[in-house]
Amino acid sequence: MGDIKKNIGNLNDPRMPYNYAEREYGTVPKDTKRAPFQWVSEIAYKNVHRIVTRGYDTTELMEEGYGLVDVLFINFQSRIPSANEEKMLNYIMVLALEDGLSMPASISRLVGRSKTFLTQAAGASILAFGHAYGAFSAFGNRLEEYSEIGDKENKTISEIAEIMVKEHLNDEGFGISGLMIKDPAAKRMFVRAKELGVSGKYVKIIEKTVEEAKKVSPEPVDLDMLGAIGATMMDLGFTPEAIWSIIAITRSFAAGAHYIEEVEREEFTKFGETLTPKEVYDGPEDRPVPTLKDRAKYAKSAQTHSLKEWSDKLSKREQNYGTGYRIHEEIEDPSKKT
Amino acid sequence: MDRTKILNRKTKTSISYKTDEKTVLRGYDLSELAEKGYSFYDAMFILFQNRIPTENEEKMLKYEMGVFLEHSMSPSAAAAIGVITGRPNLPTAIAASIMTFGGVHGPGAAHGYMLNKYLRRALDEGKTIDEIGKILVDEYLDAGQPVMGMGQPQHVDSDPRAEPLHAKQEELEVEGIYLELQRSIEKHFHARREAEGKKRVGVNVVGSGNTALCDIGFAPNAAWCIGSVSRGYSCATHALYSMKKGRAWAASKSEPMVQMLDLSMIKYVGPDDRPVPTQEEREKYAKRQKDEGEYKKWVI
Repeated sequence: MGDIKKNIGNLNDPRMPYNYAEREYGTVPKDTKRAPFQWVSEIAYKNVHRIVTRGYDTTELMEEGYGLVDVLFINFQSRIPSANEEKMLNYIMVLALEDGLSMPASISRLVGRSKTFLTQAAGASILAFGHAYGAFSAFGNRLEEYSEIGDKENKTISEIAEIMVKEHLNDEGFGISGLMIKDPAAKRMFVRAKELGVSGKYVKIIEKTVEEAKKVSPEPVDLDMLGAIGATMMDLGFTPEAIWSIIAITRSFAAGAHYIEEVEREEFTKFGETLTPKEVYDGPEDRPVPTLKDRAKYAKSAQTHSLKEWSDKLSKREQNYGTGYRIHEEIEDPSKKT
Repeated sequence: MDRTKILNRKTKTSISYKTDEKTVLRGYDLSELAEKGYSFYDAMFILFQNRIPTENEEKMLKYEMGVFLEHSMSPSAAAAIGVITGRPNLPTAIAASIMTFGGVHGPGAAHGYMLNKYLRRALDEGKTIDEIGKILVDEYLDAGQPVMGMGQPQHVDSDPRAEPLHAKQEELEVEGIYLELQRSIEKHFHARREAEGKKRVGVNVVGSGNTALCDIGFAPNAAWCIGSVSRGYSCATHALYSMKKGRAWAASKSEPMVQMLDLSMIKYVGPDDRPVPTQEEREKYAKRQKDEGEYKKWVI
């Protein structure tokens, strides 16, 4: 190490929280006062000869005739499901597997066109699941929240349903919409859940909410796949986050098939190949680039110094798409609420 | 070349269609499949192979997907846990876990392509399955390459799922040419290592599970998809555990155990600490550094 320089840039500014010139080099010594780092898990462990999930040896589970669908109950809920619970989840997963050329399949196909591994495309498809498309956590957490309010405030299922419709009828993740007016698959799922004896309070609340929604919605609405899967899986004991995960991953198998088909049927896309025709462009007209000498004449600084000025500028910025100023959201820690 | 095709093309697919009335996979209404009692494993055959499987094929896939789902701390689970420490939305951690499957972690496609390549050679060169199995082992080992499907860094006495998978395939009578070739590979692999005085290295879950998937008709990439996406389910639980019961950032000093990202976990083995040159010194400094060439040993 050569001579330590005392004054680099702003680093000797007295407002710095400590003396920058005298900061230590080198890594932090091992912390021997606390237990050393280990991968701590209440889900699973393995040793040289066993893989164990929630206490069950996975090879023994398979040898006893259990399968992937059973292991989902074990991994997410730490319990062996009844035969009917297994049947119900199986039923749901068959229906959740494929959805035509919807977003997960499209994302997978687009990624595949870059000549990637299949796993990149299948993984990317999962990113399609947000709080509108595949909004299982939003749906489930809302349902849980209103169910708890109902319990605390001693409300009937009809009253809960009425409030939910009043407050959320047009939400993307409501589970009741105009998407499945002609397709009976979602409604059949509730029928099957009842036949198998696995439906419970969440199915009841959503059924009642559908009735309420039909009364007040100006457009025809009915139970959709989000609502059917969400409520049924919650009655099977899955948390909203578990449902979100399981359905996104289930769809990812089909996204893998779409990747394969895309690679089989289409050519790869080269960097810079795709053109965007001017017809789809609605930004500023073409304009000359000023010389660097003229820059000061053209450039306007972004800083504002009064609230009025700030507010006016914000309104102007909101007029431009793609700047981010039209989006108003709060990013919350999803471990508290997904 | 139509360079606007991503925006404008009409994609054709022979996998599925969806209307207001139904969603149809390879000709079968999904709701009808579920109503008639077909399982999720059956649906995998329809999705990837355009056919309804035999009962035993369905059982084989059920076993394979179930046994592959959980593997505790592997690159996939570690990735899911690592990603979720920043508290992004849950799907990003799951996506990352599936994306860890590459050329080494669960290389199902590569193993399948290897088997297909050597089976093709057996046909073209008039070799028996056993002869081509020996050729495969010799060619890989002579080239200093690992034989795909053999060895696992944690289960050093053979993956506990691997041989039971072979046995299940035989029990269900769904063994075919792929299991014959895989068994031959294992036989010649063990014999050669024994002759060379090396420790026995067992078959891993790719060598056994992927062989079963090949025998029940899945193409290499389809088999890879089935394996790696099945693992996604368990990685979701590992991410959720960290999210709901662990500390974000994984570096807290107040936890009783040193955390994954505690500063003391960093071991640095790069260039020695050195002063930052001023802009005035820059040109001279940069030229000397380039001329001396010491930096090259750090280039990655």
